[in-house]
Amino acid sequence: MYFVLSWRNLWRNKKRTLIAATSIFFAVILAIIMRSMQNGSYAYMIRSSVKFYTGYLQIQAKGYWDNRSLDRSIVIDQKDLQAISRIPHVSVAVPRLEAFSLVSHRTFTKVAQIVGIDPTAENGLTDLKKRLVQGSYLTRSSKGILLAQGLARMLRVHVGDSLVIYGQGYHGMIAAARLPIEGIVKFPISDLNNGMVYVTLPNAQYIFSAPGRMTSLAIMIDNPKNQDGVKKALVSRFGKNYTIMTWQQMMPDLVQSIEMDNASGLVMLAILYIVIAFGIFGTIMMMTTERSKEFGILISVGMKRAKLILVTAMEILLLAFSGALTGALVSIPIISYFFHHPIPISGSAAHAFDMMGLEPVFHFSRDPILFFHQAIVVFLIALAAELYPLFFVGNLDPVKAVRD
Amino acid sequence: MLLSLAWKNVWRNKKRSLIIIAAIGLGLWGSLFAGAVWMGWGESMVDSAIDRDLAHIQIHQANYLQDKIIRNFIPNGFQVLQECRHITGVQAVSGRTLIEAMAASPASNFGVKIVGIVPEQARQVTDIHKRLIAGNYFESDPKNPVVIGKKLADRLNLRLKSKIVLSFQGLDGTFNYVACRIVGIYKTESKFFDESHVFMKQSDLFRLLNSSPILHEIAIRAKSSQLMPIVEQTAKTRFPDLSVKTWKELAPGIAITSATMESFTYMFIMIILFALLFGITNTMLMAVMERFRELGVLIAVGMKQGRIFSMILLETIMLSLTGGIIGFLLGAGTIAYTTQKGIDFSAFASGLASFGASTIVHPILPLEMYIALPIMIIFTASISAILPAWKAIHIQPADAVRIY
Amino acid sequence: MNSRQIFLVGFFLLFLTTLAMAETPREIVQKADQLWHGKSSYSVGSMTVINPNWRRKISMKAWMLEPDYALILITAPARDKGIVTLKRKNEIWNWIPSIQRVIKIPPSMMLQPWMGSDFTNDDLVRESSMVNDYTQSLSGEEKIGGRLCYRIKLTPKPEAGVVWGKVIVWISKVGYLELKAEFFDEEGTLVKTMLASRVRKMGGRTIPTHLEMIPQNKPGHKTVLDYQKLKFNIKIRPSFFSVQNMKRVR
Repeated sequence: MYFVLSWRNLWRNKKRTLIAATSIFFAVILAIIMRSMQNGSYAYMIRSSVKFYTGYLQIQAKGYWDNRSLDRSIVIDQKDLQAISRIPHVSVAVPRLEAFSLVSHRTFTKVAQIVGIDPTAENGLTDLKKRLVQGSYLTRSSKGILLAQGLARMLRVHVGDSLVIYGQGYHGMIAAARLPIEGIVKFPISDLNNGMVYVTLPNAQYIFSAPGRMTSLAIMIDNPKNQDGVKKALVSRFGKNYTIMTWQQMMPDLVQSIEMDNASGLVMLAILYIVIAFGIFGTIMMMTTERSKEFGILISVGMKRAKLILVTAMEILLLAFSGALTGALVSIPIISYFFHHPIPISGSAAHAFDMMGLEPVFHFSRDPILFFHQAIVVFLIALAAELYPLFFVGNLDPVKAVRD
Repeated sequence: MLLSLAWKNVWRNKKRSLIIIAAIGLGLWGSLFAGAVWMGWGESMVDSAIDRDLAHIQIHQANYLQDKIIRNFIPNGFQVLQECRHITGVQAVSGRTLIEAMAASPASNFGVKIVGIVPEQARQVTDIHKRLIAGNYFESDPKNPVVIGKKLADRLNLRLKSKIVLSFQGLDGTFNYVACRIVGIYKTESKFFDESHVFMKQSDLFRLLNSSPILHEIAIRAKSSQLMPIVEQTAKTRFPDLSVKTWKELAPGIAITSATMESFTYMFIMIILFALLFGITNTMLMAVMERFRELGVLIAVGMKQGRIFSMILLETIMLSLTGGIIGFLLGAGTIAYTTQKGIDFSAFASGLASFGASTIVHPILPLEMYIALPIMIIFTASISAILPAWKAIHIQPADAVRIY
Repeated sequence: MNSRQIFLVGFFLLFLTTLAMAETPREIVQKADQLWHGKSSYSVGSMTVINPNWRRKISMKAWMLEPDYALILITAPARDKGIVTLKRKNEIWNWIPSIQRVIKIPPSMMLQPWMGSDFTNDDLVRESSMVNDYTQSLSGEEKIGGRLCYRIKLTPKPEAGVVWGKVIVWISKVGYLELKAEFFDEEGTLVKTMLASRVRKMGGRTIPTHLEMIPQNKPGHKTVLDYQKLKFNIKIRPSFFSVQNMKRVR
């Protein structure tokens, strides 16, 4: 009965109800937009960083991360690889055999990082193919190398020239090879641009006398939320002999910087909440005082104060609920739009992002949790604002109120 | 007359007005302060890099940045150094001799860069001497004193007063192995820097190299960042054959983060303004509805629509201005207070360190923002007044008067 | 004090017929050291690298003209056969027949292992001298492998470019054979040990033909040198030690 009463009350004064509801409605939308933007940026940062090299997880020999010697390499056979790709949410497994060696052409010699890769898998993680600026990308059967642009410049070589690789292989064996340059790749980060040399994995295994071995297997996951599940599956299969490292362990500084970013983001959100809270409170307060005559009359004709409070409370509850719900629903298409059309960053910041190989845009997150959280928070704020009307009704002097 | 009427109206309903003023005030304060913290963070990152090693401008031989070999020293380096001192806008200059070397200890060895400096010069351009965690900056007297970073000391398992053997190739190709003594250990925000930079006295280096004095890099500190472009221009004109670059060109990554802060701050403020927009609109709508009868009477009595519109508009603007002024004063006040003292973010130290920022951030807001923000708020307020004002002028006097 | 010199000291010794009276430690060390400076030699031997997980054996022939020149030819295993390391003064080159290339080792690789062993390229090249880079003091006598030895403490001179805090060598009283050396950092921690044994007559001299280099902090690791043949004072000229000859030598 009270419910019906509250409902009717709301509709009695459409304008007032609408105004109050919209304040909540817009508050929810804004909160969702802000949080979506923040989370979108973190997700993008993490994804870009892991795609750069590490992947979300890596299988390595125990102790490899501290001392990257070829002697600490692992063996993952076809059966294992297939099992790994069958783990749900794994999008690509990327094997690598890495060692540093001398590379030389005529009289120019430099130290470089030689990486034996599976060309398709590697591209699936790092988009290496996109970085090709000359020549052609490696295929499964390639005998040649991909060379980083900075290194090519320092050695004065071009596609078609041959490069000598010389260094130490597995178990102290000498690694020496002369290979043709098939392509040149360019990296935005100068350390990589001045040091990387790619060959096919079988080729690297031959050169470094490490048949069937690799120094790491990087794993890419479709959605970072599934990382723990995938890690568990990997540990159960490989945990005895090998280490499974997460990107958090491999890039702890990134974790810290995201946490800091997140913290400042929460502060921003808090400020937004405060502004919203005032807006909602103001509206509700107005609404209440406006109806003081009405309340006064009701009490005078005998309605129990408590019941009046109850009815008013339900009104506001309904109001807040519908406002929050519609706000959340309407924000879905808005966020979807921004998800597919991120807001571009302009000016010098955009230029700088480009130079780092990052897209100069504000990314948005589509995670459903977002919508729940923000809607609930605003709902709670509205409920808090509700205390005022209840208090007001509780202390109303009906005689004064009626007299206006 | 309209003005005083509007003002009186604002204060007729104290509660409502105070809430709006509080919302605007807090919103503005929050935005200003958050913005200042972000900008301060960006600044500190830039300053750290400049003070540590970059300086404002660096001069090299034309090929040096491509090929950092000992032979690419600046021709007539010391003359260039002298001339740079006399360029207007220059505060201090420091000449550096840079040599790639291996640092060895009984435990381990590592590739480093020897930076040959004149301590009295270097002090005026960089702040390594302020970052010593042990020992002194070339004030004690052993043979071949060096100052190394903590990360390197840890890697080589050395401490203060330990012997460190540096090996490097001279101009004539001969190898030098030198026993040096660690007289100071420094720590900066960049572990990478600490690990690779070994500081040595130029006089010792020249003696060991058995060569005439040479310089590879001249670092210039301008009197202020505003004067930097002028100094750069002068240097470029005077030394057309040398490479003259500003820190922005030398370390674009740092320039990014700084520029990004500004973008984010504006983005955040936009969202806060949106929130305020809705809040103010709603409240003013309520206000209009509350004064339904009174406004109806005014219209019936003959007040022009235009005046009513202006009245509502003025009310809104006054509300916003009041809130704006309060927010502005609060914001400017807190910023001024913390600018001096700084805020300690050491809880997130590790992440910040990787970015090269110090853990104490000095909030600072560029002058433009102090002007831009209040203007944006007033603008927003005006827009939010439109709907309520429009509603107000469309009140039918007959309806208004009829309500009891 | 590089490891190669230490073992070479062990090799190239003159057999003394008289015991010196009241020799200073410096003179003892000088004799041990001098006994092979200024000499040329030809040797055939092998180096075995031992790890907990694997071991590798390389056979080689070496020509030396002290102090500036050395040429080492790998004769086994098949995969590495024909690789030549050439030292001229402070520079090192490698000739790799499988890719038909001569490569000069840049400074950044000098501290990398030579042929996968515990020796670095730097060890092959270094000129540091037991006599000149250190001050010597006698600290007792001790039996090593059944022979009575002088125990001499070597302290690096202040500017000497050696990483060690101190080195202790055991030089046999008879024959001036360096049979043991211990290398310490400045805190007094032992970092590596050299042991020489299997003293035989070779090329007219009595020398230890088996040398072990044992790093202290890597359990299960050591590098072992064995000599099968040695000739001293061979006729050889600096022109032998050339980049062109690297490709020709057999």
